[in-house]
Amino acid sequence: MGAADVMYERFDKNLQAVNGNSWLATVPEAADIIVNAFKENGIPDTCLCETPLLKEMGLKKALEDAGITVYTDHIRLHSETAKGGICETQCGIADLGSVLQLGDDVDARLVAGMSEYYIGIVRLSTIVDDYDAMFDQLCAMEELPTFVGFITGPSRTADIECVSTVGVHGPLKLSILVVADV
Amino acid sequence: MANEALKQEIQSALRNTTLSRTLGKFCETYPEKRLKSYAGVNFEETRDSIREVKGYAAEHIDEMIEKFTKNCTARGGHVFHATSTEEAMEYVRNLVREKGVKTIVKSKSMASEELHMNKVLGDDGVLVQETDLGEFIIALEGNTPVHMVMPALHLNKEQVADLFTDYTKEKNEPIIAEEVKTARKVMREKFTHADMGVSGANVAVAETGTVFTMTNEGNGRMVGTLPKIHLYVFGIEKFVNSLSDARYIFKALPRNGTGQRLTTYLSLYTGATEVCLDKDTDEKGPKEFYCVILDDPGRREILADEDFREVYDCIRCGACLDVCPAFALLGGHVYGSKVYTGGIGTILSHFLVSEERAEQIQNICLQCGRCKEVCGGGLHIPEMIMKLRERSTEKHQNPTYKFALDAVSDRKLFHSMLRIASIAQPAFMKPGQPMMRHLPMFLSGLSEGRSLPKIAQVPFRDIFPTIPQNVENPKGKIAIFTGCLLDFVYVDTATAIIKDLNSIGYVVDMPMGQSCCGAPATYMGDRKNATVTAKLNVDAMSAENYDYIVSACPTCTHQLREYQEFLKDDPEYYEKAKALGEKAYDFCKLFHMLGGLSDEGDGKEMNITYHDSCHLKRSMGVYEEQRELLTHTKGVHLTEMKESDVCCGFGGTYSIKFPEVATPILAKKIEHIKETGADTVAVDCPGCMMQISGGLDARGLDVDVKHTAVIIAEKRGLM
Ligand code: SF4
Ligand code: SF4
Repeated sequence: MGAADVMYERFDKNLQAVNGNSWLATVPEAADIIVNAFKENGIPDTCLCETPLLKEMGLKKALEDAGITVYTDHIRLHSETAKGGICETQCGIADLGSVLQLGDDVDARLVAGMSEYYIGIVRLSTIVDDYDAMFDQLCAMEELPTFVGFITGPSRTADIECVSTVGVHGPLKLSILVVADV
Repeated sequence: MANEALKQEIQSALRNTTLSRTLGKFCETYPEKRLKSYAGVNFEETRDSIREVKGYAAEHIDEMIEKFTKNCTARGGHVFHATSTEEAMEYVRNLVREKGVKTIVKSKSMASEELHMNKVLGDDGVLVQETDLGEFIIALEGNTPVHMVMPALHLNKEQVADLFTDYTKEKNEPIIAEEVKTARKVMREKFTHADMGVSGANVAVAETGTVFTMTNEGNGRMVGTLPKIHLYVFGIEKFVNSLSDARYIFKALPRNGTGQRLTTYLSLYTGATEVCLDKDTDEKGPKEFYCVILDDPGRREILADEDFREVYDCIRCGACLDVCPAFALLGGHVYGSKVYTGGIGTILSHFLVSEERAEQIQNICLQCGRCKEVCGGGLHIPEMIMKLRERSTEKHQNPTYKFALDAVSDRKLFHSMLRIASIAQPAFMKPGQPMMRHLPMFLSGLSEGRSLPKIAQVPFRDIFPTIPQNVENPKGKIAIFTGCLLDFVYVDTATAIIKDLNSIGYVVDMPMGQSCCGAPATYMGDRKNATVTAKLNVDAMSAENYDYIVSACPTCTHQLREYQEFLKDDPEYYEKAKALGEKAYDFCKLFHMLGGLSDEGDGKEMNITYHDSCHLKRSMGVYEEQRELLTHTKGVHLTEMKESDVCCGFGGTYSIKFPEVATPILAKKIEHIKETGADTVAVDCPGCMMQISGGLDARGLDVDVKHTAVIIAEKRGLM
């Protein structure tokens, strides 16, 4: 196994430990995987924050062809009702199964926070080893983006009788598609 | 608040079965969960780094405020530096009025609770919604948090269902997953319609003007993403200098708080992020971003106080609550503060909420030291609670305690009282029960749920000269410090120590001028009497004449080592006290150190379990030596009990003041002992011995409690 595969394996294992799951896929493979995941989970509609990578995957069209309604604008409005949410995230941490959102874009934050089933997309080349490496990277930035958010699995609570329950205000289900770019 | 009122609250907490079940279960599983989450991360190093970065910020606090203000403002934020809670609240109130805010969604912010924000704004007609599930539930109940991290632990799912049914006017089933869904549904509406979001910061970074918020539920993210106005309220203790400094805190906070390596969300806001200004037109723009820094006199008082400065290093992880035997039993409500609970809550309440309340609740602490072991900021919580006790004792001391403590520090008077008690005790005993009710001080008022030992007919000081010590070519001379319990109650243990030490070539002497070690006075905050006793024993023990000082009571050993602290302003005594402290050891440590480990033993089967004394394990770090000594002894088999290092409830004078707390703590210990099936409980502390044997006796259980020194002496045929 190459170093990149090892990195992915670690990422996946740690994400599973916090009730998430992931897939490793090439750009052409991505759309099918995501369409299937939404189909399997009965997701009728989704918000989608387009980026060049997501466009290259042909996600919007693939989802629509599968009968899923896709919103790419007025995200604030549609995120109130849409069950799905898809956006690209900027990097990840193998040791924790986390992905990070860096930047000002409010739509991406809405999508990742409000959907019932959130799918994040991250490039394998941007996944760093561990928490410290990520902090080092953030510290080295000339200017910190107005928003930096670590996301580690679906939302959860143990506030009633200490019973751990997945899915409170944020997503009930979370998957990460890791793009095999190395 | 009167002591009686506190007692009633304690009783009511003890009656809450949900609280005891949930909290009890949580606290039992917490240590292991926490430990697991630290795999690959060195807790001690992380804690030291936290102390370092927080310490730096504390020393440069004005600079932190200035830098943060500058940097946050440069990124489009507005910063208000409030020098009192009133000023902070006034600012928030005006802001809310000026912006025409009608509804607010809030994620957890302890500082805003200090401002009574919900009440004040609520009275102004603003709807303030707590969005954290636990906070939401207690808001519906009209209650205060029972735990810093898990505020609604005292309610069961049935009670939550009733509250939700009342609120939603729809029937809610007592199924946790369904209740969580209800919360999601109810709160969605609030999030999408709120005019303003209010957040609390876990950390604020001066150099970048960044605030951090950590949540699991995702409410923090909603609060920071949806409303057009976003307000942070946080105290000056949240500052660190650089972004890199912040990393240490988030290494410890989730692990200590919930045993997670990281929570689901960790969000960093640096200035005014983008929001959607109009959902129909999809117009976007920067949000209105405000930070209120709370810099009230209470916080400054902490910073200026040498004894309490380190309170600033607290990261509010709640670990100290989760390991505290008193908290596990009582939960947070008895601590009285709406905001802070447990040992750290006692200290914070003193400075930030109410001195009077803090004065009452200081006494709930057993001084067991468990909190200190896990504290994310490395705070010396028990020591600080002692300081608070000292300060309140200086102001007003209970006359009964004062009388008793004065008596204890007068050796002759105290010893004659004990001698009288040994003669008079039959009059106080219940027929057929070896129970004493009216012993002076630390032996009084201890009767509930256990029997007490008899005062020895002949004290050890009278027996000592009759013990033959035939040691050929002695390797050295050791002085024994017996403390009250060995001198007047457990004389056999004291005898065993002499025999054990003789057997490895040491002669033992007993300086007769010694008296009570002074721990009772110390734990009651009576520094004056503690200092008197310290001087008396420093003189009496003449450490310069001995190679070592041995004690078989870890509380005494700890106290002997602390004398130098009491006498630090007296150069002549300080040096002598230091010498005494350096030579003072607990029996098992010293015996092991001097070559006492051996495979000898009569080989007769003895099934033991071991109870760690708080002081021996945590103040002195001794827990392996005695186990090694015991398990090497032929015939001895050790089965560890659950939570062997959790306090037995004795805690010096504790059981006098709070038998209602000490009794259930003891009951749990007895259960754990029973589970091992041992015939003997080995201990190294006469206080624990008294507490545990009393508990076993009162339940009619045929289990012996013996000091390690006695087991060794018996098994090796030395007595
Ligand atoms: S010393 Fe023990 S009883 Fe006191 S606060 Fe700490 S854990 Fe609780
Ligand atoms: S005192 Fe220590 S353990 Fe308690 S909340 Fe503060 S940092 Fe955590």
